[in-house]
Amino acid sequence: MEEKQFERGTSLSIFAADRREDLGALIAAILIAIGVMFFVGK
Amino acid sequence: MIYTKKSPALLIIGILMLVWGFLNSSGNVDGMQSWLQQSAYSDHMKVKEKFDAEFRVAKEMAASEGKPAPVMKMAASRFDHAKAEQAKLTYIVGGIFAVLGLLILVWTPKLGDFDYYLSIVPGMAFIVGIAFVVRWGLDPIFGNWGKAAIPLLGWDFAHIFNLNYVVLGIVIGIITVNVFSIPGWAANGVRTARFFLKTGVILLGVLYSAAELAQLGALSVVMIGIFVLGSVGMVLYMGRRMDAGNSMTGILSAGVGVCGVSAAVAAAPVVQAKAVEIAYTIGTILVWGVGCMFVFPTIGHLLGMGPVQFGAWAGTGILNSAQVAGAALAFDPTGIETLKVAEIFNITRVLFLPIIVVWLAAWYVKHEVGAEKVDLKQVLIAKFPVFVLGFIGMFALSSMGAFSPADHYQGKYFSATEIKEDKLLKPKETVLLEAELAKMKTPAETAALKDLIANRKVTSRVHDGALLSAGKVAGLDPLAKAVIDKAHNAAWHNSKTIGAFRNWIAWLFAIGLTGLGMQITAKALKQAGGKPLIIGGIVGTVKALGSLIVVLLFVREFV
Repeated sequence: MEEKQFERGTSLSIFAADRREDLGALIAAILIAIGVMFFVGK
Repeated sequence: MIYTKKSPALLIIGILMLVWGFLNSSGNVDGMQSWLQQSAYSDHMKVKEKFDAEFRVAKEMAASEGKPAPVMKMAASRFDHAKAEQAKLTYIVGGIFAVLGLLILVWTPKLGDFDYYLSIVPGMAFIVGIAFVVRWGLDPIFGNWGKAAIPLLGWDFAHIFNLNYVVLGIVIGIITVNVFSIPGWAANGVRTARFFLKTGVILLGVLYSAAELAQLGALSVVMIGIFVLGSVGMVLYMGRRMDAGNSMTGILSAGVGVCGVSAAVAAAPVVQAKAVEIAYTIGTILVWGVGCMFVFPTIGHLLGMGPVQFGAWAGTGILNSAQVAGAALAFDPTGIETLKVAEIFNITRVLFLPIIVVWLAAWYVKHEVGAEKVDLKQVLIAKFPVFVLGFIGMFALSSMGAFSPADHYQGKYFSATEIKEDKLLKPKETVLLEAELAKMKTPAETAALKDLIANRKVTSRVHDGALLSAGKVAGLDPLAKAVIDKAHNAAWHNSKTIGAFRNWIAWLFAIGLTGLGMQITAKALKQAGGKPLIIGGIVGTVKALGSLIVVLLFVREFV
């Protein structure tokens, strides 16, 4: 995949910046954690 | 630029998933599933046999009393749960993909965010679909083949070569891109791979707990600390000297220093490693690890090492967890002492992962931006990967007992209060143990056995440790040993919460690594060259020899 193939994001990410990808992953992980805590008992 | 490509691919993937869900819930693929999930199916047959027997008795009793046959339902087995999970996942995910696939076919895309994010879904579906095939198909197939080959080879090749969903996901990704190439409709969404991987790494923090470190022996912590930090530092130094590139050096240091493949995967997004660098690191670790697995036991026997010494050496010197267990079993196939010691050392180094992740994040930021010349604090604030903080946050929450008891390790924990009534020892079993009291070798073993007899369960982790050695006392009645094992198993529990997290982590890694594998072309592999193999080989040799010398000098009969 070449860089120029995508006008948005990079060849390795759909996000324009690493920080944005990190925050996206952090939000996804928190949502999963809340879901697990809510739906699964200890 | 309009990103969404009108293609029926997403709809087809969605429908295929729905069909798989239906086949599982209707029982039409039970034959195939029983072969793929042999262990779960074997449990299922046991549950079924027990149920059939109970049902027959209940029916006969009802008949003798002139009552109609009772209505009874068999309890769901592990096999039933596994099939139900496949059906549930494919119904949910396949349903979403099918609906969005229809939308792509009927909607006329317009420039904007919706077009961009919708165009990502087919690529995501492509890697998710392959990850399903890898986890539900290839992983168990190789697992079965590995076990089937044991009589011929004497060892489980699938386990030793790590042919699980992690490695298979990357390999399938590599084959896809190099043999078939990524279809145009999927190209945009395949770039979500790193996002999945980062989410998985954040959640990985829940598997570890600082409190578990306190349970480990001081010697293993000190020894592993020196060798983990030493080998990470050595790779970082050599990588810089040999100009191997910061990301390649960073990921290799985690793989060589901590616990092999899983550490490399966890460190990859921290040092922004390219897919090809991950592949090289895993290749180096596996080649080196498998070599060690064969060489270590031979050297151990030649030097006349005892189980404690060899376990300590294997747990420190061998790079990857799978091969640590393999080497320990190869050295001492019947006893459990070597394996136990090796695993203590192995667990200790795995617990160093959070420290290494933070170290590498700071190291990478510093070297990548040439931070020697600028304010390091400012650079760290601007560039430090935020998801690492998420990993540390999860680790902290896990250590505080937010998800499971604070002293758990990967969801397994000791609790004497949670032992169910039917798991307590029966009176005839305690009588059996009383007859063995005189055979105990140490006061600790005697005290633990007396406590077990009095309470019909293991009441503390200290007693549990003493009972482990009591179970191996020479001349012990095999039935008594089985009773001690039963008591040990009853006191150890698996956290459902951590089990659910593990499942999520496995999926996120399987999807992420399949997508990353699709970024590894033959050309990229050639460009990366052989430096990682050289660095990994040198550091691996130094680590193996260094740990051997330390073990021979300092490790005797204590851990």
